[in-house]
Parts: sequence; structure tokens; C-alpha cells
Amino acid sequence: MANKFRNLFAAVFLLILPGQASAHHNMTALFDFNDRVTLTGTLTKVDWRNPHTLMTIEVRSADGQVESWLVEGPSPSFYRVRDFGKADFEGAVGKTVTVEISRARDKSRSGLVRTFKLPNGKTLSACPQNC
Amino acid sequence: MHHIMRAAPIVAITFVCFAQQSGVAPAQSPAADATKAKAAEDKAKRNVQIFENNATAPVLYDRNGKRIGSAGERALYEGLVLSPDKSRLAEVKVDIQKECIDIFVRDLATGSETKFTNSATREFALGPVWSPDGRRLAYTAMPGGEEGIYIRSGDGKGAEQLVYKNPGAFLDLSDWSLDGRMLAFAKSDLKGGNLYILSVEGSGDHKPTEIFQTELQLSAPRFSPDGKYLSYSVTDKANKSEIYVRAVDAAQTGGPWKISDGSSGPAFWRADGKELAYTGPDRSVMVATVATTPSFTFTKPKPLFRPAGAVPDRIAWISRDAERFVALPQPRTQSLNQITIFDRQGKPVQTVGEPGMYSQPAFSPDGKQLSVVRNDLNTGHEDIWTIDVASGKRTRITDDAFSRAGPQWSRDGKHILYASGRNGDWGIYRRAADGSGKEELLFQYTPGAFLGYNDISPDGKYVIAESGGVILAVPLTGKDALARQAVEYLREEFSDGVGRLSPDGGLMAYRSDELQAERGEIFVRPFNSDGTSGSQKWQVSKTGAAAMVHWRADGKELFYRRLDLETNDLTVMAVDVATTPQFKCGAPKALFKLPGPIQGNLGNVSPDGQRFVFAVNVPETTASASGTAATAR
Repeated sequence: MANKFRNLFAAVFLLILPGQASAHHNMTALFDFNDRVTLTGTLTKVDWRNPHTLMTIEVRSADGQVESWLVEGPSPSFYRVRDFGKADFEGAVGKTVTVEISRARDKSRSGLVRTFKLPNGKTLSACPQNC
Repeated sequence: MHHIMRAAPIVAITFVCFAQQSGVAPAQSPAADATKAKAAEDKAKRNVQIFENNATAPVLYDRNGKRIGSAGERALYEGLVLSPDKSRLAEVKVDIQKECIDIFVRDLATGSETKFTNSATREFALGPVWSPDGRRLAYTAMPGGEEGIYIRSGDGKGAEQLVYKNPGAFLDLSDWSLDGRMLAFAKSDLKGGNLYILSVEGSGDHKPTEIFQTELQLSAPRFSPDGKYLSYSVTDKANKSEIYVRAVDAAQTGGPWKISDGSSGPAFWRADGKELAYTGPDRSVMVATVATTPSFTFTKPKPLFRPAGAVPDRIAWISRDAERFVALPQPRTQSLNQITIFDRQGKPVQTVGEPGMYSQPAFSPDGKQLSVVRNDLNTGHEDIWTIDVASGKRTRITDDAFSRAGPQWSRDGKHILYASGRNGDWGIYRRAADGSGKEELLFQYTPGAFLGYNDISPDGKYVIAESGGVILAVPLTGKDALARQAVEYLREEFSDGVGRLSPDGGLMAYRSDELQAERGEIFVRPFNSDGTSGSQKWQVSKTGAAAMVHWRADGKELFYRRLDLETNDLTVMAVDVATTPQFKCGAPKALFKLPGPIQGNLGNVSPDGQRFVFAVNVPETTASASGTAATAR
């Protein structure tokens, strides 16, 4: 199916996926979907604004150093029509979370959220948008 | 630009619009639960509309271009694939309520349908291809967020076999070789495209072989019957699609060969390897006589037939014997239309030009001309034109294959401004309104991010745009458009857009879903001289708004389109407003209602607020009588 026609169909798919339509940049250009990292650490900051939510997580490395990771989640609109919300994330600040990310291609301590596990055990999947 | 001081404390508005502080806290339970329930209810209604406006039922054509029957029910189709013996149709259908995509298999003789996959919410199954014996289907799916290629018996029974786990998403699985040994798929993103083949012999996860890589977008690789060549589609830097053929074995000399002169669909090899068919830019079925032995040769493609319809049906699949063609008629939103001007009571007062495929008509500042996007049914291009309201005379402003959105006039009437995507880069452009000169890039945004054009400030210093729920103000400083940096006028947790500056430039009307997810209302905020927003905020609409935001030229009235979730009707709303000494607004009132589906867009209200222009769907018979409609060859 040629891209142009694929796009026609994709337009229908986008209609059913809130948050996808507000994708702000090309995911595969910035993030390496082959380089997945699972982080477990303390959620320290939440920036709940469009076009993407941003979370900061303090992770203790193998040598005992604390590293700060910035992970990018879907837009706030993505969450508003789901069972997760701003309160869930803000309530998790200071607590342990686990997040699977596709790491940034520049190898900085940042990535695109695939799944996010909150302290209460609830796990959010950002797929297919972020996968 | 006249800027009103906004630093003073909020003064209670005695008019009926609500004055609000920024950063309204989200509603808490139980109000939050009620809001969520209302959002779900609205979404269900919106989904019904989306279905009604976009659903269509497949039809079958024979090789003579005659419609010979239907092939399924009305649905939102992502793909249609005939089995090798033409007895079954693999259908890829969107379940808009469940937010997923699944594959179904329909027996064309009995009409019975079997659900082949069972995607969970927000999962999908796509790209079915039949094995050459018709006994199995390969397809892509993303269970649990991991995309893979799966194979399963064509009757939907038995376990599915994972043959390839894809890091990433949306690979384009397109074919299964006639010897049954290989699959072909493509991947494309902003960095370019890749063609792969994948052995399906043996068990376990298979490793694909890359056949070709380019900076261009690639899709739809399909094997020649002898397996020696791949046809595929390339979208070039000018956004033009072409059909190419290249050898699977990179060591083989010759090629690649460009078959088409423009295309609008993938290519299909006839089973005897002597013909390659695809759809041309005007949606005609084009055929090239080809040979693959001793090496690849082809003749110049010729049209076989053009599908029926004033807007021709779109060919989705061609059978292996090239005798049957599966097509999708156009949905309701893609019919021919007539540009029509209405008065404030909703009475049509004038038609402009002949029927065609138009969208986004916008008045010039003097109300004497329109800008419009016109879809050329012969080239597939969507170009911007201006049309003289009195004479209907058209002037072409752009002429290429790039997509464009939201054209509007500059406030002095000298330019048309619009957003356009070029190879993944979206920007704001302008072109002289008389069609002279060259296109000028005003601003380019983050690669890959969609950018919508909203407005230009009265003093010409700022372009207003939106992306990802954020309203941007772009200062038009300096001469290097690529160096310009946008100011985030409004960036919050809600989806904001459709920013429209008041005639004095001191206020911005915009739409936001802050009160309820995915339900917009119109608000007004100050627009500061540095492109930022003031802290005050007024709610203008009360019962939902769907864009078409427009200030009357004297700043005393605001227009918008009401959100009508129960029907497709378009209701034009008007609100009395005052912009000085401080913003005030009255109660919204409905001016008139038009039967839908019909679009309302920015700029489609005359500056004096007396006329409204829409592209109104017309019956096919009317369109055919006008002489502009396409006819089957």
C-alpha cells in the first residue's frame, strides 16, 4: 500500500486514537526503538503540558550514582480519556516507578515512554503511539 | 498593533461571558466522574458521525471497468485483499468504538464473514497477505505493544505463528511470494525507506534481508511471479508517487526501472508475469506489459479503465489474474461540492464557479475574492486557487503535489498564507495573491511535527500557528525563516488551537477542550506585544464549538461553528462582543443551520459578517451535468 494511501487509512486510525493526532515530532528520528531501557527509580518531577508530558526519574546506577532521566510520555489529552490521569502521576512523585523507554538516539539520559508502572501497580501502555 | 494593558486585576464582567483565571483546576470527584461520563457519551456520538461520514462498502469491477457487484458491508476499511482464487476477501476494518483494527475474512459467494483476529482496545491487525495456495494469511499485529508478523490458517483456526518481531511499528507487509517461501515488507520514516524480504520457512523468529534503502519513502513491495523482482512505490521529494521495479538479487545488473508517470496506488503483478497494473493519478487502472525473462522489460503503461463515480472509486486490490478489481467508493465527505455563499439567515445567495472538489474557502479582506483548496481529480494534487466571487474566474496560486492546509488571506489582501508539509517538515508559507512570484517560507517547525496555520497579526509582525495542542506566535523577524523561533502563546495541559486575533490585535479567540476532554469551547485571552498571553480569560461559547472562529472586521461580533454531535448539521453561531476598554461578550445565538456533512473553516465569513461561504456537497447527477465530473473511460 503506497504511503499516500496508507495515510488515508491512517487518518481514520488517528481519529480513534486520542493523543496520536497531536504527535509533535517524528518519534523515530529522535528515539531508537531498538534501544529499549527499563528504569526503576524515584519520580521527582511531572510536567503535565502539551504537546508531551515529561517526567523526571532519579535512578541509582550500578556504581551507586544517582542519575536523572527525562522521559517523554503522550500528551495530556491521551490520558484524559483513559483510566490514568494527572493525579495518578502527581501522586506518584517521590515514589518508586518503573518505566520502559526507547532511548534517545543521542544517548542522553532521556527516552520515549513505552510503558509506565505506577507505585500502585497500574501500568500504562503508550502503544501503539510510542511503539 | 494596539495592545490593551492586561496587568490590572480582573474586573468582574457584567456581561454574560465568564471571566476566569488561568490554570483552572481540573474538576474533582464526583464532578470529575460526571465529566468523564459526559466525555464518553460525547465521544460515542462523535464516533457515530465519523462512521457515517467515512464508511463505505466495497464493490467489484471486471476488466472492462464494469461494476459487477458489491463485496461487503459499509465499514471503515483499512485494506481489502482478495484470496488467490478470488473466493474470499480479507478485510481490515476499524472498530471505532473499541478503538482497534481487526482482520475479517468474507466468503464472497455466501457473504458470510469470519472474524480472523481479536485485537484488544488500541491494538491492531493490519496488512493481510494470502499464501499462494490461499490456505494461510500473514499479517502484522501489535499485541501488548510489540509489533510482529504473524501467520495463521486462513479459516481463522489454529494458533498463530510469530515469524518476525519488529522493533518499532507500522511496517508495511505487502506480499507473499508465489513459491510460498518469502514475505515482502517496507518500513518508512523521516529518515527514509527500506525494502525487506523475509523467509517464512522453518520456525522461530526470522531475520529479514534488506533489499534496498533510500532517503525517500517506500511502500508496497510485491514479488514478480518468478520471485526475481520487486515492484514498489516511491514517494519522492516532490511528494509524487511512482511505481518502480528492481531485482531482488542485488548482484543482478540493470534497473531499477520507473514504470509509472505518477501513481495513486500500489502495483500488482499478473500471475503469468506479463502485466503490471496500478492506479494512476486520476485513479484510472494503468497496465504495463512486462517480461522478466531473460531480464526485466516493460512497455509504456496504458489506461485500462477509470472507476465509476464523479469522484472515482478507489482501487484497493487487483486479483492475480487481473480480472477482478476491488474498489472502495468515496465516503460522504469526499463527494463533489459547489462553493455557495449564504446570508445571515442561511439563505443561499450565490454559487461560485462550477462543482468540483473544493475545501476551505476563505474570503479576501474586501470580500470580492475567495481562496480555496481544489483537489484536481486528474492529477490528485491539492492546490490553492483564488476565485473572483462575481465572475467565478479562477487563478491558480500553487501547482505541485505537496499538501497544503488552511489557506487564508493576509490582512492587506496581497498574499495567501497557508501551512504545508514537505518531506515531514511542516512550515508556514505565503504566496502573492495574484499568483506571481515564488512561494516564500515564513517559518519551519520541528521536523515531523504537524503545524496548522491560524492567523497573521494585523500589523504583520506575528504569524499564529498551532501544533500538538499548543498555540504558537511566530515573530516574523529577520530574513532567515529557518532561524525564526516561535513563542508559545498558550501551552497547557488542554488541547488549544484555532487562534484568531481580534481586529485590533490585542485579543486572541481560540478553542480549548479544558472543560471536557475532546470537546472544544471558544475562549478569549489577551495577546501581548511579545507574543505571550495575558492572564485573563473569558469563555465565549457554552454548548461546544467546532472551529470556524472569526472576528467581524469592526471587532463587535464573533462567529464560530457549534459542535453538533447529534447530527451532521452545521450551525453558525454569533456572539456580540466588545474589545475595549475590556473584552465583553453576549449570549451566543444560532444564526442558521445547514445540513451536513459540511465543513466550516477559518476565513469563511466575510469581513462585514454578512456572508458565509461553504463548499456544499452536490448530487452526482448535478455534478455530471456541469461537465466537470469524471466519467468512466
